[in-house]
Amino acid sequence: MSQKGTAGYRTAVDVPEELHADLASLLLSLADNKRLLGMRYAEWLLGAPTLEAGIACSAMAQDEWGHSRILYAMLKDFGKDPAHLEHEREADEYLNSELLDEPPAEWTGLVALNFLLDAALSVQIESLKDSRFEPLHYKVRKVLEEERFHFEHGRGWLARVAQTDAGRAALEEALEPAWISCLRWFGGGSGLVVRLAEAGIADAGPDELRARWLDRVAPAVAEAGLELAGVTDGSWAVPELDWTGWDPARRRSGEGGLNDETLAAVRGDKNRTMLMD
Amino acid sequence: MTSRLVQIRRSGAGLPAPGPSSDPTADAGYESELDRGVDFSAVFADAMGRNPDLVLEIPEWETPPADLEERVWRALYEVPDPEFPISLVDLGLVYGVEVKEPDGAAEASVTVSLTLTATACPCVEFIKWDVRDRVLAEPGVAEVDVRITWDPPWTTERITERGRNALRRAGVSI
Repeated sequence: MSQKGTAGYRTAVDVPEELHADLASLLLSLADNKRLLGMRYAEWLLGAPTLEAGIACSAMAQDEWGHSRILYAMLKDFGKDPAHLEHEREADEYLNSELLDEPPAEWTGLVALNFLLDAALSVQIESLKDSRFEPLHYKVRKVLEEERFHFEHGRGWLARVAQTDAGRAALEEALEPAWISCLRWFGGGSGLVVRLAEAGIADAGPDELRARWLDRVAPAVAEAGLELAGVTDGSWAVPELDWTGWDPARRRSGEGGLNDETLAAVRGDKNRTMLMD
Repeated sequence: MTSRLVQIRRSGAGLPAPGPSSDPTADAGYESELDRGVDFSAVFADAMGRNPDLVLEIPEWETPPADLEERVWRALYEVPDPEFPISLVDLGLVYGVEVKEPDGAAEASVTVSLTLTATACPCVEFIKWDVRDRVLAEPGVAEVDVRITWDPPWTTERITERGRNALRRAGVSI
């Protein structure tokens, strides 16, 4: 079950004290990103380029919310109240990628989230398949299975939009910031992802995860003829990254945060009366 | 193994119970001609995918159950999925039944491990209520704990032959 024959951690109580904050932060980061990504998908239920794409967005939104619900619930063991996490935090307490701060203005922006960010989350989650933290180990297979079609959906739309010069130009514009953001999202050389990998919570550190992500998304990018950092002439390598403004604790740019509309929507401010038990 | 078809009865457990109104102006209200005679609990059940008119195919057992654990398994064949006329067992959602009979206690506590077809299954609470109600109806059961598990992930491979037939009858292709 656990890595390299080492003992597994059955609950948060079994996890060594010095790993608690890092592991809780990883769970919250995944939960927040999935919750917000699900919201972004849902925003395209009406207005996606095709009816089928809108329906796919509905299904993907449902999946992401299912995954985030599982992840928020796991944080209970770490002394956090899931209801508080879901409904009562301020923007600067969310550990989301900056790509989710505001809704994408165009479908190509949603394709960037679908194909690049969702894949980055899945690469990180895949690294937890044999986690020593057993609650993760037992949950991620189902999550990854549901993610398979998200990836295919993103890849399909990438290829489709890239068929014209105008489409390629629009895609490059949308993908460029997401590309760099996702590469940075796995973190630098001294962040919590490094420590969790060393402790056997994850099976790889940031550099390896970045390479895995690139191997997953770059083939379709190269095939579509898109020019993005590190992808040239059908081959790819992790480009030099600029870490200016990087906040390792929140795994994002230190600048900005969820905009007001996003915060109100993700917390469910309009439905607050329903929350009273 | 023979089986029989029975009308699915929904317990309605967990639905908001009608309580006394605190509204002093409350009256009989207005019943539209169109609504007259409509069983709203059935409408509500149907709207939630809990169609009360569906039939469920339940195995007819040739031998009595060996123990409480087997009795619980058999009882779970009578708990339908909220959306399709198929039992949770035939759908392959039941992963385990554990019976604990503490020394000296007259009644047992039962843990049922279930998976769901999707992580965002909107019917999870219905399913838990239905399982709890049905298992609690078994003599000798004091408490029921329903646990949700995601490992191994559910696939259509887990649907039994009887379940496949039931889904085909309901017009679901698998």
